Amino acid sequence: MSTQKPTLQDDLKRLEEIVRALEAEDLDLDKAITLFEEGVKRLRTAREQLGAVEQRVQKVLEQAGGELTLEDLDP
Amino acid sequence: MSDLFAPTEASGALTVTEVNRLAKGAVEGALGPTWVHGEVSGLKAYASGHWYFGIKDAESQLRCVMWRTYSTRVGTPPAEGTQVYCLGTPTIWEERGEYRLNVTRMLLLDQLGRQALELERVRKKLAAEGLFDPARKRPLPAFARTIGVVTSLNGAALRDVITVARARWPSVRIVAFGAAVQGAAAEGEVVAALQRVGRLGGVDVLIVGRGGGSKEDLEVFNKESVCRALAAVPVPTISAVGHETDVALTDLVADARAATPSAAAELAVPDRRRWAARADDLGVRLARALERRGQVARERLFRAADRMQAALQEQLAGRRHALERCAVQLDALSPLKVLGRGYAVAQDPAGKVLKSVTQLTPGTAFTLRVADGGVGAKVV
Repeated sequence: MSTQKPTLQDDLKRLEEIVRALEAEDLDLDKAITLFEEGVKRLRTAREQLGAVEQRVQKVLEQAGGELTLEDLDP
Repeated sequence: MSDLFAPTEASGALTVTEVNRLAKGAVEGALGPTWVHGEVSGLKAYASGHWYFGIKDAESQLRCVMWRTYSTRVGTPPAEGTQVYCLGTPTIWEERGEYRLNVTRMLLLDQLGRQALELERVRKKLAAEGLFDPARKRPLPAFARTIGVVTSLNGAALRDVITVARARWPSVRIVAFGAAVQGAAAEGEVVAALQRVGRLGGVDVLIVGRGGGSKEDLEVFNKESVCRALAAVPVPTISAVGHETDVALTDLVADARAATPSAAAELAVPDRRRWAARADDLGVRLARALERRGQVARERLFRAADRMQAALQEQLAGRRHALERCAVQLDALSPLKVLGRGYAVAQDPAGKVLKSVTQLTPGTAFTLRVADGGVGAKVV
């Protein structure tokens, strides 16, 4: 994949692991709280990605030199 | 009341326009769009792009018109005598009172034969090379953030992909690689567009296709060069040529096939609602799990505190008891108690008890302690 940061998919996968570990109940409270804090962070970034704004549609143009550029497609 | 079937009075006459309009309705209502087979006769292609011609068989002729919108799809006008199939609606041109066929599609018989042969040749060749091999198929990404679309920038296919993709996931990025999908330039443009996908990079999944079309409109998607370029695209591909029944060769080469561009967008773009529901569910479980962990810890803490307090109290009670025992013993041993019974004790000025006669030489001063105090004394 091309893009930045962990993806929503990664965040939710990790969150799932965290929830499972917490539900398993054989953790120290310290560890549980650390995990919980990580879980909250993951949940927040996941929600941010879910709520992200609509992206423009772009078209690919090939320049005379063979270079590819992107330009917004008119709506 | 006049007899409608025996019009005898001129005052009941219809206008020309009325007759033509009625006749037009009757003709169109009686037939509707239909395929007609015949050979082309007297075709005139005007600069406007409209074609006027006849198609005929051994006995009769039918006047036809094909508007520019439709004639451009055929390309060059067929020569005199060419065998064709025309799809058209028989109608009457009211202004002239002319009966004719409004043609929207024209298939050239010999061209159809050539296309079928060429299609079969390419299909066999690519199959032999393994381009249709199911083992080549790559899975589509579960979570595509950028989707590429190779299609006409003005076509319905791109619009449909955008609409569906945004409904499923508003923040999905769409990159359009424009290419004509019909006409003489289509093959070269589609191949070039497919090659740009890898060169540009950053595309997670590619849709190639066009909106619904007739069989000959799918031609470009049966070209060998297009199939090869599609096979070489470095990311998973979906072929969507907008045709339910006919399979284009790109459908066989692509990693997945969709009946329409809208269906392709559904395959390519994850459903936001489903992911949001999963995130919500995990959020609830996370909170609940910690709450329960907290409860368990709190209970443990309380239990430990209770035990500790009990142990402490027990220990305290034990100590108090020992102390009391000591006090009793101490009391029993207290010299004051002995003195109370009438005994006295001799102490030197430093308070040391004098226990031996050797310590009490004549002239030694000492204190004699009795139960209620002491008196000074001297050995004589």
